[in-house]
Amino acid sequence: MPAGGCLFVIVGTDDKPIYQAEFPEARSQRREDTLHLNQLTVIHAALDMVDELVWGTQAMYLKQVDRFNDFYVSAFVTASHARFMLLHDARNEDGVKQFFTDAYEAYVRLLMNPFFDSGAKVPASFDQRIRLLGKKHF
Amino acid sequence: MASEAERKKVALRRLGDATFSKVDKVSAELFSLTYGAVVTQLLKDYEDVAAANVQLEKMGYNMGVRMVDELLAKASLAQCASFSETAEVVAKVGFKMFLGVNVEVAAATSSEFRLLLSENPLAEFVELPEECSKLEYSGLLCGVLRGALEMVQMRVECSLLRDTLWGDEVTEIRVLLKERLVEEFVDDDE
Amino acid sequence: MLKLRRPPCFSQLCAAQRVVSQSAFAFLFSEMIQYSQTRVNTADELIAKLEDAGVGVGRRALELACWRERSSKRETRALWKSLFGAHADSLQKVQDSDDEFMIVEKEPLVNAFISSAPVNCAAFVAGGRTPSPPESGRLGRRLAAAQFPAEVSAHDNEEGATVLLIKFAPEVLEREKRQA
Repeated sequence: MPAGGCLFVIVGTDDKPIYQAEFPEARSQRREDTLHLNQLTVIHAALDMVDELVWGTQAMYLKQVDRFNDFYVSAFVTASHARFMLLHDARNEDGVKQFFTDAYEAYVRLLMNPFFDSGAKVPASFDQRIRLLGKKHF
Repeated sequence: MASEAERKKVALRRLGDATFSKVDKVSAELFSLTYGAVVTQLLKDYEDVAAANVQLEKMGYNMGVRMVDELLAKASLAQCASFSETAEVVAKVGFKMFLGVNVEVAAATSSEFRLLLSENPLAEFVELPEECSKLEYSGLLCGVLRGALEMVQMRVECSLLRDTLWGDEVTEIRVLLKERLVEEFVDDDE
Repeated sequence: MLKLRRPPCFSQLCAAQRVVSQSAFAFLFSEMIQYSQTRVNTADELIAKLEDAGVGVGRRALELACWRERSSKRETRALWKSLFGAHADSLQKVQDSDDEFMIVEKEPLVNAFISSAPVNCAAFVAGGRTPSPPESGRLGRRLAAAQFPAEVSAHDNEEGATVLLIKFAPEVLEREKRQA
């Protein structure tokens, strides 16, 4: 993950990851596969924090839920308990919140399509939308 | 003559609006999501797009047969003098009363017309996956038209020519009159 | 090559609650029942099938209703109203039982047009006969989606009203106690 970059993961209602994206987009060759794995582990650990925090509030946006070295994990939980997790290395609260809000719209739109079910592959249109949002906010 | 036809269209549009405003309503999402569940269930059951298309049309037919009664009961309609007038009734009263949408008629002749839907409550949120690109998602509507018109003595063939789900600008349904089931118009009972 | 369709404008499309005629829904729903009947052998299978169909609808409707509120709150109260146009006639706690609630509906929409069905079609709305996963059916899914695992089933009561019986999973009650 380049400096100023983010890793975005959506974990579905049934705890399965359904989508993942990196901003800005990863460059041609990924050398840091292991680093990437670590990042996922950090997000995974933060999920437990989210599942604790979520009962204390009705708000979808949970702000920063965890910190790991120079990384922050921010989270957003939807009504049907899909979890949006964002790993970022810069404090950018407004950007993150705005990104989550926009991503929520994209997610609802994805969900409203009867052909989408959480086991299925996310269509390209959703990926495009999220990447546009990534460009816009980060 | 043309102005007469225009006047009729305006009157039908008003009738459609008035009828829709007085019927009970449900949320459009409940409707579209339920339909989505039906379509995906059919695809699961038949595992074949063409077979699902046939079944959707058939379900529409069964609905149309019953829907026409409600249309005739709720909207006070004069007897249609021509097939193109039937087209206007279908578009401006039928579609309006059931789905609340405005539908345009195009290329109406004495044996054919086309319906142009710019909004379609059935398909609002749908994006067809690649493997279902041949799916006639709104084929239900073709069936409804066939069933409803058959009940008023018109045997028609309907097909989905264009669909916004296929990337087209509008959804277009062609209705071809094959046969009038009785020679003369039946007098309206009401 | 399939051109990806871009719906007009999602925000616009969904910002307002839009409606279709209730009878259009009823005709569709009854056709769905007719079709489902041809694919099952027993009433229980039919119930399961209806519940199945209800699951996806419930989850989607919940998410859309919350998104539309634009409050960024996880709030489920609005859902029933947004789907069925009115709150259920009453929500009652079952006497002598901590974990059971009932929603009584005098005339559920889905049953309003169907008199000859062999089962109560509100199964579509309720669900949850199968213990695992407990969250089938629309209401069950609604609750489960909002992280209240519960069994929901549809019954007829003596007065002919439809009762949705909700039985929460034990961990929900424990959590509620913890938080109280």
